[in-house]
Amino acid sequence: MFHWLEKHPFFFSVAVFLVISFAGLVEILPNFAQQSRPTIGTAPYSTLELAGRHVYIKNSCNACHSQLVRPFKSETDRYGHYSLSGEYAYDRPFLWGSKRTGPDLMRVGNYRTTDWHENHMKDPASVVPGSIMPAYRWMYINNTDINTAFAEQLTIAQFFSVPYNKPVPMKDGSSIIVKMGGSVAEANALALEEAKVIVADMKDQDVKDAVARGEIPEIVAIIAYMNSLK
Amino acid sequence: MNKIYLWGIIVTVLMLVFTYIPLAISEGGLNDDIVNIITIAGAVALILITVLVVIKYVRQMQVDTATGELADENWDGIGKYKNSIPTGWAVAFLLTMVWGTWYMTIGYPVNSYSQIGEYNEDTEVHNAKYQAKYGDFTGDKLVEMGESIFLAECKVCHGINADGIDGKAADLNSRISAQTVKYVIEKGSDYQLIGSAMPMSDRNGLFNVNTGALITDAEIDIVSTFVANGMSGEGAEVYAGACAACHGADGKGMDYVAPNIATYTPALVVNILNFGKKGHMGVMPKFDRLNDKQKEAVGAYITSISK
Repeated sequence: MFHWLEKHPFFFSVAVFLVISFAGLVEILPNFAQQSRPTIGTAPYSTLELAGRHVYIKNSCNACHSQLVRPFKSETDRYGHYSLSGEYAYDRPFLWGSKRTGPDLMRVGNYRTTDWHENHMKDPASVVPGSIMPAYRWMYINNTDINTAFAEQLTIAQFFSVPYNKPVPMKDGSSIIVKMGGSVAEANALALEEAKVIVADMKDQDVKDAVARGEIPEIVAIIAYMNSLK
Repeated sequence: MNKIYLWGIIVTVLMLVFTYIPLAISEGGLNDDIVNIITIAGAVALILITVLVVIKYVRQMQVDTATGELADENWDGIGKYKNSIPTGWAVAFLLTMVWGTWYMTIGYPVNSYSQIGEYNEDTEVHNAKYQAKYGDFTGDKLVEMGESIFLAECKVCHGINADGIDGKAADLNSRISAQTVKYVIEKGSDYQLIGSAMPMSDRNGLFNVNTGALITDAEIDIVSTFVANGMSGEGAEVYAGACAACHGADGKGMDYVAPNIATYTPALVVNILNFGKKGHMGVMPKFDRLNDKQKEAVGAYITSISK
């Protein structure tokens, strides 16, 4: 075999390439597969949270806000534990962002609340004096596109095995089940249930009325998404 | 003279000239700078050594003849001598093996760079520095430190004056508002304000011992105002009958039973920072990423402004 290879430089190159690639695959792939597993405590997005993520993307929040806490003391003091790759397992696409005009939002759910977001999105400068963030008043009026979020859930559950309706391990050893509707109507009903929980902590009467009518303004979805970032 | 030496002299002179040219055209030349002089001396020495070594090996190639026993192998007429490996090479080879073993077992796994390792080291150094600089802060200095932490972490909800920005969050300039008292009486409370779980029941579990009945709407209103007014005004009897058993006659609370509702204390603030709470305005998230000294400082600051 070797004598044959010696006389055929092209196939010799191919053989060298294969051997080296194999070494690379053995070294890289297992680690890569391990690192990209969801960390314990990372759950898939619920219907409303996923819809909120779409609102986040639609309004280009990621142009000014990152979602990546780097392992520096100054960052972990401000934002909490540094990000782990497995925490992005259900982010398609990830929203690391490339520039912080505003603060990082990787763990904003730990230290900001529903009522704060409600005040802040309506008029950022009212809670953060001197803030240059624009107000997002249309989020209080426009309704959330739950159907698209449900379509995404169906797709990722089928093609990426995202564990909807299955137990997901949590840090304290318990497990939770993130529900996904079996039909469009069911998905909308689930999202409305989640919205009611969020709206209970909100003050805007128009938003409360809208949810009572069965509509979900975008602000509710994006708050659900913000609260899920932990 | 051998042609080789002639070439050696020519090359040496040329190289010295080329070394000299940049020096000559540069501003200031050697500039009486010892570093410049040493650099140039080094360059000249390198040129001389290079030329001499090249001459030696060229001479050797010209005059050397091969000796020794030829090996049996022969590749297209090119043979090789049976020379033993030079000692230097053998030693270098063995040392490489030793180093390689060390590197694979200890060198790489133990000493290799890790971003998280660097982060952990940084954190350790930072914490030690923090402890040395702020660890023994007390009194006014602690309050001042608490204020700066408050302005960094708390002001986005409570406002720079700690007034809660028009009811968006708790006004920390006084201990408690009448709405908050009312909300807690109606809904109950279980937010580990004393550091451990000790649920307070909602209005359906609160008896006024003076009347022997459940607390009424009118009584709730009056006692809420009483507590919010700093334990003064109307409502003292209702307080004594329904609340004092746990919160104490003066509202200062009791260890392991109920929190202080008359004033803020550092311990109470630290517990709120550790566990968070939910009131009639909304949720106060926990801020357990602050370190112990920072929480203590925030507690001292809140206590100082709420007096």
